[in-house]
Amino acid sequence: MIRLAFMVPPVRHRRLVSTVFVSVMTMVAAGASGAQEPDPLIKLDANSKFAVELILDSAKVEKLPTQPLMSRALEGIAKKADGKKIVDAVRKELGYLRTARSVLGGVPDDELTAAAGVIEVGAKPAQLAVFRTRHKDRNDLAAFTYWADLITRGVPPEDASSAIAKLWQDGADDATFYSLWKSVNSDILQGLNPGAALQNRIRESPGRAPTSKTPPEGPQETKSL
Amino acid sequence: MNERKVAKLVMTLALLVPAPRGLAAQLVSKVEAGQYSVSDGVLPLSAIRFAPAIQYELPRATFMARGAALLSDQQLQLADGIVSGTFTSPTVYGGRAEMIGNASRALDDRSLGPDQVDVQTRVHVLFHQHGGLWFGGGVARPWRVAVISSADVTDAGLWAKVGNAAAKFGGATMTATFTNFSFNKIASVHDTGSASLSCASIPSTMSSTNGGIRALFSEVSSGGACERQSRFGDLEGTLHWEWSTVELTAQTGYRFGDSYDVTADSRRWSSATATIWLSDRVAFVGGGGRQPALPLRGLPSRTFGMAGLELAFLPISKGAVPVSLPHAILVKSFEVRPGATGTQKIVIHVGGVETVDVMGDFSDWSPLTLVRRGRDLWELSVPVSPGMHRINVRVDGGPWMAPPGLPTVHGGYGGDVGLMIVGEDRSGH
Repeated sequence: MIRLAFMVPPVRHRRLVSTVFVSVMTMVAAGASGAQEPDPLIKLDANSKFAVELILDSAKVEKLPTQPLMSRALEGIAKKADGKKIVDAVRKELGYLRTARSVLGGVPDDELTAAAGVIEVGAKPAQLAVFRTRHKDRNDLAAFTYWADLITRGVPPEDASSAIAKLWQDGADDATFYSLWKSVNSDILQGLNPGAALQNRIRESPGRAPTSKTPPEGPQETKSL
Repeated sequence: MNERKVAKLVMTLALLVPAPRGLAAQLVSKVEAGQYSVSDGVLPLSAIRFAPAIQYELPRATFMARGAALLSDQQLQLADGIVSGTFTSPTVYGGRAEMIGNASRALDDRSLGPDQVDVQTRVHVLFHQHGGLWFGGGVARPWRVAVISSADVTDAGLWAKVGNAAAKFGGATMTATFTNFSFNKIASVHDTGSASLSCASIPSTMSSTNGGIRALFSEVSSGGACERQSRFGDLEGTLHWEWSTVELTAQTGYRFGDSYDVTADSRRWSSATATIWLSDRVAFVGGGGRQPALPLRGLPSRTFGMAGLELAFLPISKGAVPVSLPHAILVKSFEVRPGATGTQKIVIHVGGVETVDVMGDFSDWSPLTLVRRGRDLWELSVPVSPGMHRINVRVDGGPWMAPPGLPTVHGGYGGDVGLMIVGEDRSGH
């Protein structure tokens, strides 16, 4: 039998091979570990990434939810927004969450996020106060969501806030908020002034119509049909 | 260009649409193959029909061109075609003005040459996008139907829409219309015996280019034919029902008018057509019924039946469209339904597009591509936790936008974002 000398390396070489093997396996393992949980902010430039991570740390310290902050950053990355704009959006979101927490106290994260959304579109923090009183088996998610939409569509924030708060105090359920939103939205698409549309529809809802703070502006053109 | 060449061009257009990736919505084409037969022999008993169509949509205007060629007995002939434009005004208090213009050929019948140009304006009142009514009027001008002058057309109608194709029982659109036609007609005195004949003058617009009509004009010149005021009205009801991949359209009507203007075989009619989508590009089409005579086009009433396959909606490359397309108006509906444990089924109706994507906080803002289930039905099951979620949708890689029918807020990065509420045991909306 022919024995080939180079098939069995000397001891010194075997140690070297072992070391290299272990190193490679460690790197592979580290790589694999990293692949399982890639850094979601990796696409941000270094400065922006650092700034966002600082904001996330601040939220953790204050026991505020980090998911909406991370989501806001990821949304910006997906939409190819500038790094500074992303940092600015995340920082503002943290501010809205802080404000919402200061008014509402301890509420579930998704409700806090929805409340922050209402503040973001222009509602005054004090207008959230009515939602501080918690009701058993009642969730204010729908109220916040439709409230934010109404303001976005041009309903004066004061009017929208009064209407939503009144319905909430009167015990309106999710379906009532949805129905109101759908009707107002439809009227706006038909060309009605957003404020007037809310005033008209709120009269059809349970409870008394809130007083309008702004005069109607007349018909408006719908965006698209 | 003679008609044979036009027919070949139409067929070429229909076939040269092999649908490369990333495509536009408004340019579509379809090829129908099957049996198409009619009772009066105007059309061949069996034919393959090539029907390319181009539609271009703007917020206030839609332009459409469609043609069809029939291949039968190894002969290609131009069947019909239409070029149309629709312009709409802004909607104010639910009302809007519309102007519609068409230039069309109904069917190939060289002895009659039934070409027509018509223009119509109308006022359309919409009720929350689920119904509406309109009234209007216009003029229709037959090109080569020599016995008919320009016709005054007035119409009124109403429509209502219930549900949608993704709903449990589908969606239906019901339409009722009444259309009144008033025109002058050259008739032989022997045909009518009517007191309303005016034998003094025949309008110059009634050309005598068609050989079949020359006899009548000869009769006129010899005092045997006269001009007659004709009038009739069509009351028609249409029901269109869509459910998943099935579409049914049924139509029935009644024609008002005296026996001179309305022949007995055109007094009542009804027809129905079914389309079943076997895949995203192939549908079975079958139907039949009776169609009334079209006096303005010189076409007789007919009984027809058809069955075949439709190879449809093969878009032309996006490069053919010179400007960006208004994708927002293409998404017809958006719905979220509870799926298997922990998942939600996103259902979107959008016609004539190649890809539909969604993304939101539930996907860490990574785009998810929906799967096409029918001609305009797109679906995707995705894990979504209960609560409120921000979501965007896009078609054909276009701009991200808020899905229709959801509460919306302005996103922080330009454009709007939809707010989707997912309940513990029910869908958002």
